[in-house]
Amino acid sequence: MKNKNLVLLKTLLLSTSQRNIYKHTNDKKKKKRIVASAIGMLILYAMLIGFCVLMCIGYGITGLIDAAPEMCALVISLLSFGFTLFKTNGYLFNFKEYDMLMSLPFETRTVASCKFLYMYVKSLPWYLSISTAMLIGYGLFAHPGVVTYIIWMILSLCLPFIPMLIASFLGFLIARISAGFRKTKIVQTILTFVFIIFCFSLRFIIEAIFRNNKVEATLEKASELTGSAAKYYLPVSWFSNAIIKTDVISILLLLGVSALLFAVIFFVVGNSYRNINSALKSHAEYRSFRMSKQKRKSVIRSIAFKEFKRLTGSTVYMTNAAIGEILAVLLGLLMLFVGFDRVIGVVTQNAPVDTSVLRPAIPFILYFFIGMLATTACSPSLEGKNYWIMQSLPIEKKTIYQGKMLFNLYLTIPFMLFSTVCMCLSAKVPFADTILYLILGVVLCVFSTTRGCVCGIKHMRLDWENEVEVVKQGAAVTSYLLPNMFVVMILTVAVVILGMRMDHRLLTLILIVIAALLAFLSYLRALSLAKRR
Amino acid sequence: MSEKVMLEIKNYSKAYGEGEKVVDDISLDVMSGDIYGFIGHNGAGKSTTIRAVVGVLDFNEGEILIDGHSVKDEPMECKKITAYIPDNPDLYENLTGIQYLNFVADVFDIGETEREERIKKYADLFEITDALGNPINAYSHGMKQKVAIISALIHDPKLMVLDEPFVGLDPKATFTLKEIMHEMCKKGTAIFFSTHVLDVAEKLCNKVAIIKHGKIIASGLMEELTEGHSLEETFLEADNEK
Repeated sequence: MKNKNLVLLKTLLLSTSQRNIYKHTNDKKKKKRIVASAIGMLILYAMLIGFCVLMCIGYGITGLIDAAPEMCALVISLLSFGFTLFKTNGYLFNFKEYDMLMSLPFETRTVASCKFLYMYVKSLPWYLSISTAMLIGYGLFAHPGVVTYIIWMILSLCLPFIPMLIASFLGFLIARISAGFRKTKIVQTILTFVFIIFCFSLRFIIEAIFRNNKVEATLEKASELTGSAAKYYLPVSWFSNAIIKTDVISILLLLGVSALLFAVIFFVVGNSYRNINSALKSHAEYRSFRMSKQKRKSVIRSIAFKEFKRLTGSTVYMTNAAIGEILAVLLGLLMLFVGFDRVIGVVTQNAPVDTSVLRPAIPFILYFFIGMLATTACSPSLEGKNYWIMQSLPIEKKTIYQGKMLFNLYLTIPFMLFSTVCMCLSAKVPFADTILYLILGVVLCVFSTTRGCVCGIKHMRLDWENEVEVVKQGAAVTSYLLPNMFVVMILTVAVVILGMRMDHRLLTLILIVIAALLAFLSYLRALSLAKRR
Repeated sequence: MSEKVMLEIKNYSKAYGEGEKVVDDISLDVMSGDIYGFIGHNGAGKSTTIRAVVGVLDFNEGEILIDGHSVKDEPMECKKITAYIPDNPDLYENLTGIQYLNFVADVFDIGETEREERIKKYADLFEITDALGNPINAYSHGMKQKVAIISALIHDPKLMVLDEPFVGLDPKATFTLKEIMHEMCKKGTAIFFSTHVLDVAEKLCNKVAIIKHGKIIASGLMEELTEGHSLEETFLEADNEK
């Protein structure tokens, strides 16, 4: 008899395997798209591996190679925890084939654990890339024995496992609490935001603890920072001890704790799995509707409203699309109440920086958060099986995408304006400059919207199994998000440097013109792509 | 063949959150060999009942037993002998038809020869054999429905629970499904299905229950319930009375 866990896991993987689609489809365009996407992924893996090897070489040159295992464990743990927290609800709960799976003879805990293992296996290549690259770097400088290579590779499988289990359990708790409310999705989203913001601020809380203990100096060295982290998160030190000292107890602890945690968590999750899903998939009945006067909207505003309902109808989508806006507002408020100089001081570890030179970067700092994910990058693919609705209606294709773009503007611009005003007040930016920053912020939002739309239409994928595939892993989102993030980071630095050499207002004006031009070109490109769809 | 209660629903109620009950205290028995029709308006509570029967939906009030096993306490025992076809089957779209059927066969631990025979038999009957190598996302709604039906028949269930099984099927496939239902019924399988097509229910079922606003307003043997009238007339009459 086949192991049911394996049967289900294998099927889950097969059902989203691009190789399987390639093998069985006759659609040549689809085949080309799959190959292009695979090449794109390989390039990303290569970039990641290259970056990690270089980081290890840096450690090697500065004589800190012994910190490499700790750094490797810490990076993988943080990434896996963060990414899992964003997508766990979409994978573990409220998935579309829930009815089909639950009607088959699977234990509820089998379904839940296989969904987790599926999420783990799908993200494993990323973490193994980091781990393998750092092993190469470590091998070049530390010259370890063969056993170390074997231990490193085996334990690398456990490194993302524990943080992913913890993040999944948090997701479970959020879903469990939300299930008791009538507006389950809204509560689930709010709780997810609270957890994410708490995790984001954890770094500062830990730093505050260090400061109180007057061990600020330890933060200055990366190796000592990871050492400190290892004290608080034991799997990091277990991994490091296993590699550097070939400590058998550490190896057993890492393997044992992973297995034990998995068994305990999925025993608990399995017990209320059906209950939670029933609550999340059910809708309270309202039978008190009375027909009243219905308002007429323009087609574009109607589409924008539909997009709003799509966003608020999905916890995964809402969490990922709105987190940037929430963080921007929090940052703005933090600056306003704590003070620009003090916040910058915390970030720069009180380095002697003239904070006024950072002013021109305000719109870019906020855009880093707000432009993190444009809904226009996901929404074309999120139409999924509903694609026919828009296609069969007498609406011009450009109108559909204009509606989608309008919604992203509704979502981003108010947050951008509010956070910019907060930051400008806090940084005591002159009124005229504030106006220019506001204009630049709005133009950046327009650019983010139109560029997102270009990526969204270009890499539209309607045959997804789970919306996480679109929101978190889709080619459209990746091709929008990664270049956008890197360019913004570079621009932030460039603007600060340029601001020291030229007039701030002139610089902002030039940036407004460039961003507006790029936004306009992206808009034209989006409309031309829309016509071909 | 001795009759045996295959599905027993006792005082089942379901409310979402703290809202009004969508199903209120319903009880019915489906015996082996029965073809039991479950009819009612849209939103009457048919799917809510069916989803609880197959163990998909959690419930607090009442008891549902399949072949004497409680759906709540012994879900695995129940699922092993039950087949479910949802109204809008969400299958794994990127698998081919045959990959999906093999997945279900693996879950029910069906031997290779047996699964080959059954898949071939039903795929031929539904004229879908040629398409089994294609990805499910290339199928029409009817073809997906056919794959869902074959997957439900693959383990020779004792109880079949079908939610609007005829929606999307072509006339030939509808006829084939009805024939299969008769054949299963003769072998002692109990069939419980919801439908809006009263003509089909009238010709196919020996028992029927009418549900309205979550309550059963009429149930029993088809002849006793209709008393010489058509099921449509009986349904409309019951609907107007209550």
